[in-house]
Amino acid sequence: MTAVAATLRTAIANGLANRNSFWFQVSLMVANDITWIIFWVLFFHQVGNLRGWDAHDVIVLFSILLTTAGVALGLCANSRKIGQLSADGALDETLTLPVPPLAHLLSTRVDAANTGDLLLGPVVFLLAGNPSPERAAMFLFGVVAGSVVLIGFLVACGSLTLFVGGRGEQADLGFNAILIFASYPLDLFGGATKMLLFTAVPAAFVTGVPARLVRNFDTPEALLMVAVAALFALIGWGTFHLGLRHYSSGSIWIR
Amino acid sequence: MNPYLAGWRLGFLRTIRSPGDMSVRIGFFAIILLVMTALWTAAVDANGGSLHGYTRTSLLWYVFAAQTAVLGVRPRSVEEIGDEIGSGTVAVQMLRPVSVVGLRMSIDTGEACARLIASFTVGALITWLFVGAPPSLPALALAAPAVVLGCAANIASCHAFGGIAFWLLDAKASWFFFQKLVFLPGGMLIPLELLPRPLELISFALPFATMAYVPGRIASGHPDPLLLLWQLGWLAVLLGMAGAVFAAGERRLQVMGG
Amino acid sequence: MIAIEARELRKTFPVRRGEPVEAVAGISFAVEAGERLAYIGPNGAGKSTSIKMLTGILHPTSGDAAVLGIVPWKKRRELAARIGTLFGQRSQLWYQLTPRQTFGLLGRIYRIPADQERRRLARLGELLDATHLFHQPVRSLSLGQRMRCELVASMLHAPEVLFLDEPTIGLDLVAKARFRDLIVRINEEQGTTILLTSHDVSDIEQVARRVIVINHGRLIYDDRVSVMRRALLGTKMLDVRFEQPPASVEVEGARLVKLSGAGAKLVVDTGRRPIRSVLDDLLDRYDVVDISVADPPLEEIVSHIYARPV
Repeated sequence: MTAVAATLRTAIANGLANRNSFWFQVSLMVANDITWIIFWVLFFHQVGNLRGWDAHDVIVLFSILLTTAGVALGLCANSRKIGQLSADGALDETLTLPVPPLAHLLSTRVDAANTGDLLLGPVVFLLAGNPSPERAAMFLFGVVAGSVVLIGFLVACGSLTLFVGGRGEQADLGFNAILIFASYPLDLFGGATKMLLFTAVPAAFVTGVPARLVRNFDTPEALLMVAVAALFALIGWGTFHLGLRHYSSGSIWIR
Repeated sequence: MNPYLAGWRLGFLRTIRSPGDMSVRIGFFAIILLVMTALWTAAVDANGGSLHGYTRTSLLWYVFAAQTAVLGVRPRSVEEIGDEIGSGTVAVQMLRPVSVVGLRMSIDTGEACARLIASFTVGALITWLFVGAPPSLPALALAAPAVVLGCAANIASCHAFGGIAFWLLDAKASWFFFQKLVFLPGGMLIPLELLPRPLELISFALPFATMAYVPGRIASGHPDPLLLLWQLGWLAVLLGMAGAVFAAGERRLQVMGG
Repeated sequence: MIAIEARELRKTFPVRRGEPVEAVAGISFAVEAGERLAYIGPNGAGKSTSIKMLTGILHPTSGDAAVLGIVPWKKRRELAARIGTLFGQRSQLWYQLTPRQTFGLLGRIYRIPADQERRRLARLGELLDATHLFHQPVRSLSLGQRMRCELVASMLHAPEVLFLDEPTIGLDLVAKARFRDLIVRINEEQGTTILLTSHDVSDIEQVARRVIVINHGRLIYDDRVSVMRRALLGTKMLDVRFEQPPASVEVEGARLVKLSGAGAKLVVDTGRRPIRSVLDDLLDRYDVVDISVADPPLEEIVSHIYARPV
């Protein structure tokens, strides 16, 4: 078993060690997610149809978001913490090991609450998504590619802390931005915003495009997803490694 | 100086002096307004220009005020209160000759005031840019105190909920439910008139509506002073509850140990 | 063979508002394989920063270094496989799991073959008297027990150099003494080069044979511990008990520090007057019941060094 896989396995074991606490946090998150579903149901009850989207469509979108967020924030929980870890000098322990630092960081922490999203997402899809084998395959594909995009984006935002200092506030903003935009149907947004979501804040590739692929498989769009995922993986990896040269490891308290 | 006033001042100054933090919150707020504008514009257009009496403009000014009021409170406040109780920090604070909950609420209110000044002005500007002038300028003016009162009620509530930690050692569950109660029956996500009738009635009976719905309603063009009175009433009740929960909790600490 | 070498290492941190801070201002030294070196200095002296450059965590602003012939920040992963680290304020052990589970993971990370891992664990467990702790959850261990398991974790892959950064922080006196003893044992049995940073002077006394003192980012002393004691302060401490409480104690070459009842403490400047003649004088003129001669406490020597102009 490779070092990274072994680390992930240990992180999961560590997260599960206190069973009660783990399931408690999972159920809190599930309750939280269900509230959002209730909101959408109430919303569409009032509003009807929204530019071709109804409650059912949005719930499928939501299931994709949950699963993707579950991977990025639940399984690879450090993806959103890179900024904070850098500021706190907590990269030390990773840097003293003979492992690729980013891969190790991403596999070394599992968050119980967001794992709840990872568990609920596919369930919601199975219940509300008319899961045929093709749709399920697209769901899986979309989630995997979308997770890579999301993780790459979050790592890049967090790595900015290595360059500009601070405690990861830029990462928080990036994190909130991409998740908020990814929670709503793409067709709500007009020109400039939509372009933003296909570029700098790639929320479109986290939920929008995967949702489209689930509805209708389209080869060019699938290839685009793969390309964008590779691109953001590279951006995240690159920013982080360039940033390591500026790492100050918490040695300096005045910042 | 009165210790509670000093606490308020501390919270206020501390927040004013972290511009980095402030700008992130404002950025976050701008994103929410952008998304909400897109959502409700589409919603209103799909329903002939009005939803239960709300036009696109009045709806977005509702969203602005409701969101401002809720975002004035530190997001994980309930959880932090729980952590301070669980870690024994509160036990140490009890050694001082001031009310622990009173001082804490003063500091939080000071912080909120600083945040609200920024959020209200910037948010109003952004909303004006997106949807144009508010339905009524006097209404917008009245929305300002409503936002402050809503925020204060929120803070008091956080302390009442967070106080569960005296018994449960962890306020995580409290925080989740609390947040959802403000989101839905509080009217932050959706104006209460748009909810199914039974839910609407229940929401009006709960205090959460004073935290988001009231400022939103006023800003959407309904400068009704009775709404402010409603807020004041609930604020008094929530302050009492927070005080009672902390008093009971502190007594428990003294008996059971930290 | 030289295990660690630093040449004019410098590290400057940019600060948002104000002058950049020079944490390490040109440090040079060399450590032989198998040595035990204490690297001490007050808080903020630049100790941790130095270690972090030597382990590849930080990139220096200028200067050179080589550990086991490898430049740390250039070939970090290659070096990481051959060195061990123990940072007192950070844990390598997974909190909810047993130390054994962490060791298993480390075995994968350092690519230690399973049977070799087993053998080393048995040996280290015995050496550090920690075998009985391996299967208890880390959260249930005391700090002293945890530090012993941390030491096992750091040594599992048989590193040639062990860097310890403030390892005894938070330990009680007994645990500290025990821990220091274990480090010495590791060095003697496994031949591991030890570089230990600390601001606790007892770490020098019990672990190190050589000491480097650093302050304000600069190296201000580098020599054997025994030499430091002897060379630096030409003083001795006299602890005297008299038959009767004396009215006063006046001896040429000695300064009275404390007089309480029938006991007195004096400091002798051996540069001015040899200790022998001071003692002769004292015994001649007073009724001495008991007398002891001691070196000044190391604390005092070190404070003296810190206070030197840099």
